[in-house]
Amino acid sequence: MHSVAVAGLAASSDHDVAERAPILPQWSELIFGLVVFAGILFVIWKYVVPKLEQAYQERTAAIEGGMEQAAEVQKQAEEAKSQYEAQLADARAEAARIREEARTQGTQIVSEMRAQANAESERIIESAHKQTEAERQQAQVELRSHVGRLSTDLAGKIVGESLQDETRQRGIVERFLADLESGDVKPEKVGTTPSEGA
Amino acid sequence: MSFSPLAAVKTESFEPPNPQEFYQRFFGHGDWSFTRPMVLFLVVGVVVCTFLVMTTRKAAIVPSKGQWLTEQVYAPIRNGIAQDIIGTKEFLKYVPLLFAVFCTLLLSNLMSVIPFFQFPPTGRVAFPIALTLFVYVIYQAIAFKRKGVVGYLKSLIPPGLPMWIRPMILVLEIITYFITRPVTLALRLFGNMFAGHMLLLLFITGGEFMLLHQDGFQYKIFGIGSFLMAVLMTLFEILIEFLQAYIFTLLAATYIADSIATEH
Amino acid sequence: MQGNIAILGYGLSAIGPGVGIGLIFAAYINGVARQPEARGMLQSIAILGFALAEALAIFGLVLAFVFK
Repeated sequence: MHSVAVAGLAASSDHDVAERAPILPQWSELIFGLVVFAGILFVIWKYVVPKLEQAYQERTAAIEGGMEQAAEVQKQAEEAKSQYEAQLADARAEAARIREEARTQGTQIVSEMRAQANAESERIIESAHKQTEAERQQAQVELRSHVGRLSTDLAGKIVGESLQDETRQRGIVERFLADLESGDVKPEKVGTTPSEGA
Repeated sequence: MSFSPLAAVKTESFEPPNPQEFYQRFFGHGDWSFTRPMVLFLVVGVVVCTFLVMTTRKAAIVPSKGQWLTEQVYAPIRNGIAQDIIGTKEFLKYVPLLFAVFCTLLLSNLMSVIPFFQFPPTGRVAFPIALTLFVYVIYQAIAFKRKGVVGYLKSLIPPGLPMWIRPMILVLEIITYFITRPVTLALRLFGNMFAGHMLLLLFITGGEFMLLHQDGFQYKIFGIGSFLMAVLMTLFEILIEFLQAYIFTLLAATYIADSIATEH
Repeated sequence: MQGNIAILGYGLSAIGPGVGIGLIFAAYINGVARQPEARGMLQSIAILGFALAEALAIFGLVLAFVFK
């Protein structure tokens, strides 16, 4: 109980302090502890915690800023994407349009060419017909003259009658040929058929 | 560190370590002497301040190695203790106190096992009392400032009690808040450190005595066993030292939160 | 045989808190096992209860030193 009694006082003897109950503080240690801890507390309160809190806030801001930035970038990317998609759709429409145009143009060209070809072929046929006709007429004319001459020659030889007289001759031949053409040619009628005159 | 082994050599009888050995003075006498725990506590203060200031001076978003280490300690105190217990609204004001308490106590406690220091300043009751005084004054000041004297006393009584029991509860609560809490806060830490250090001393001095100053085969075996036990107890002590620093900080936060809370 | 009977008092005073702290942490472990997400909340409550229970043992220690 002795130690309890001196607890409030400052003992000046080492023995008293050493023998004191361990749960009673030594004054110098207590004051020293208060002072040193006050110093630690001051340093931490003034220098350490503000810095750490600043780092914390900066980190939070950086994370949030990073998230905002990421959102911004994503928005931009989406915008660019939609832009590209619009452009792509435009391009597709354009291509379709061009293709359509080309198709119509092609059919137009084909039909034009066809019409042209038809016209050409008709023209060719036409000209061929004309040529044929012309040739036929030429041949007819030639034939007519030949046949006329031959038949007059023949008839002259047969009847001995000169039919050199051109006017008569032509009349006969013409008549003959007309008969020939009408289908009722009768060689025996050649001589009997009256000439039409010049 | 301790004088008892030398004494044991002389007397040839084992003197167990005793509380008197915790008083190790360098100069001065009695209550005003300069002692070894004071030197160690000063070392703790200088190391804590220097380390923390060095690692946080250029606090960056991407932490350096030192800053990372500091934050590994800081984050549990800030988020795990202060924020969870005091509440998100005003915990930031008390983080410096809690952080300072934890860092100081952790290093002071670990002084018990750090070679060449090998004495916990917290094993001298003055240092736990000093830290407790800070916490005590702060939490009482908060309570009186926030609630006033009458409001504080009223807040001690749980609501819904019958009238006749209230005075008794009030007395008990006042004892709890004004005496039990600070005393146990300081003495829990002191008791654990004191007893742990005493235990280590006992195993080491006892082992040394049995190995070197006793004849007989069985004493050698026991001596070796005692040293092995000392190693085991050292590991256990490290655990206890971390735990006590944590519990002290946690309880300080709880007491502060109690003072802030409007109802009991 | 020498020593102080007050130390025995401390031994006696440590029994109750020992049992109490055991019960507190048993309940805490049970709670965490049932609801691991409540760990943070339970931990502070458990440590507070532990501190209250241990107060008795600490008073025993105080008295052991006081009655020297």
